[in-house]
Amino acid sequence: MSNLAVTVLNEKIVEEEVHLTLMDLCHACHTSEDHVISWVYEGVLKPIGETPANWRFTGPSMRRARLAASLTYDLEINLPGIALALDLLDEIHVLQARLKRVSAR
Amino acid sequence: MKFKDYYETVGVPRSATQDEIKQAYRKLARKFHPDVSKDPNAEARFKELGEAYAVLKDPEKRTAYDQMGNQWKSGQEFQPPPDWNTGFEFSGRDFGSGAEADHSDFFEALFGRQTRQHNRTDTPVRGSDHHAKVLIDLKDAYSGAKRTISLRVPALDSQGHVTVSDRKLDVNIPKGIRSGQHLRLAGQGSPGSVEGPSGDLYLEIGFNSDPQFHVDGRDVYLNLPLAPWEAALGCSLTVPLPEGLVQLTVPEKSAAGCQLRLKGKGIPCIPPGDLYVVLEIALPPANTESEKNAYQAMAKAFDFNARAQTKGNPV
Repeated sequence: MSNLAVTVLNEKIVEEEVHLTLMDLCHACHTSEDHVISWVYEGVLKPIGETPANWRFTGPSMRRARLAASLTYDLEINLPGIALALDLLDEIHVLQARLKRVSAR
Repeated sequence: MKFKDYYETVGVPRSATQDEIKQAYRKLARKFHPDVSKDPNAEARFKELGEAYAVLKDPEKRTAYDQMGNQWKSGQEFQPPPDWNTGFEFSGRDFGSGAEADHSDFFEALFGRQTRQHNRTDTPVRGSDHHAKVLIDLKDAYSGAKRTISLRVPALDSQGHVTVSDRKLDVNIPKGIRSGQHLRLAGQGSPGSVEGPSGDLYLEIGFNSDPQFHVDGRDVYLNLPLAPWEAALGCSLTVPLPEGLVQLTVPEKSAAGCQLRLKGKGIPCIPPGDLYVVLEIALPPANTESEKNAYQAMAKAFDFNARAQTKGNPV
């Protein structure tokens, strides 16, 4: 087992400082451009820009795209199913945060 | 090496049809998918399930697996019989799931290691991006912090054996980062081939659970217990916040559940979140005679019906 220590100097918060292109997002999420394009047209992801070549992905796009990719591959969920699952997961997330606050009282 | 009963994992009899296997797999996959399930063992269960399905869904592999007979029990010490797979030709199809296959020793002894075959070309190819999760304390998000994180990186050596290297990275956690955000460490992913650029490493940030503070996006919540007289009469308190002590004035006639908003005292991102102090009323127990007398004096002094809002107005 080797032990390497590396100091990283150029970290950036993806959601605030990095705008990912379609290719960057596909590379980061190990998925195809076709999939990402279909997610955008289904409303799962909301990039800035008009055409796929100009799209820039910000905000929670990466988390959503990774989730969409894993649900597509692992559970073989179709496109409308992905959109529904992500909306419901968002809702569950909000409710869980609220529940955690309330039950801490 | 232990024998793995893939039929047991998927929960079907050995006589199950391909459709029945698919149906049973999907049901369990939805139940144990790590992004959906809250089960603490979800990830391990999902991995086992994926491995079992990789064999059972593929008629070639399933037939070969069945060939070993049904005398094996799950967990039993196992060595593949010599030439067990004679006569089978595996077409070497990809194993489906988008991620790199990471199967058990048992699987690899039978079906070999699944590696991604990259076509050898002279074109530079960018290395793949990696993802990892890192938990930090809430106060790190307030002040920024330097954290050394350890990542275990499996890699294949030139002979195809897996070696695990322990990689340490010194990472600056920027002030104002929120849970669920990602840090991109450029060039810290897999090295590229033919002098292609290295991939990036993405760190997903989460907060360690805190006994005092609860975080929701950019806002932070603190539950503050008060004595009934502090809430009724108002008071001034020193309250510890993530960034230090703060003097807080509780107005008179405060009720349980009231929220005092400290604008801009949430996570210091842009724009900064707010900190909400949620008031609670702690009831002092009446143990001594004088404490009981105090409650009785209150009962006399107040024209108060605790159940005034309750339906049917029980007395």
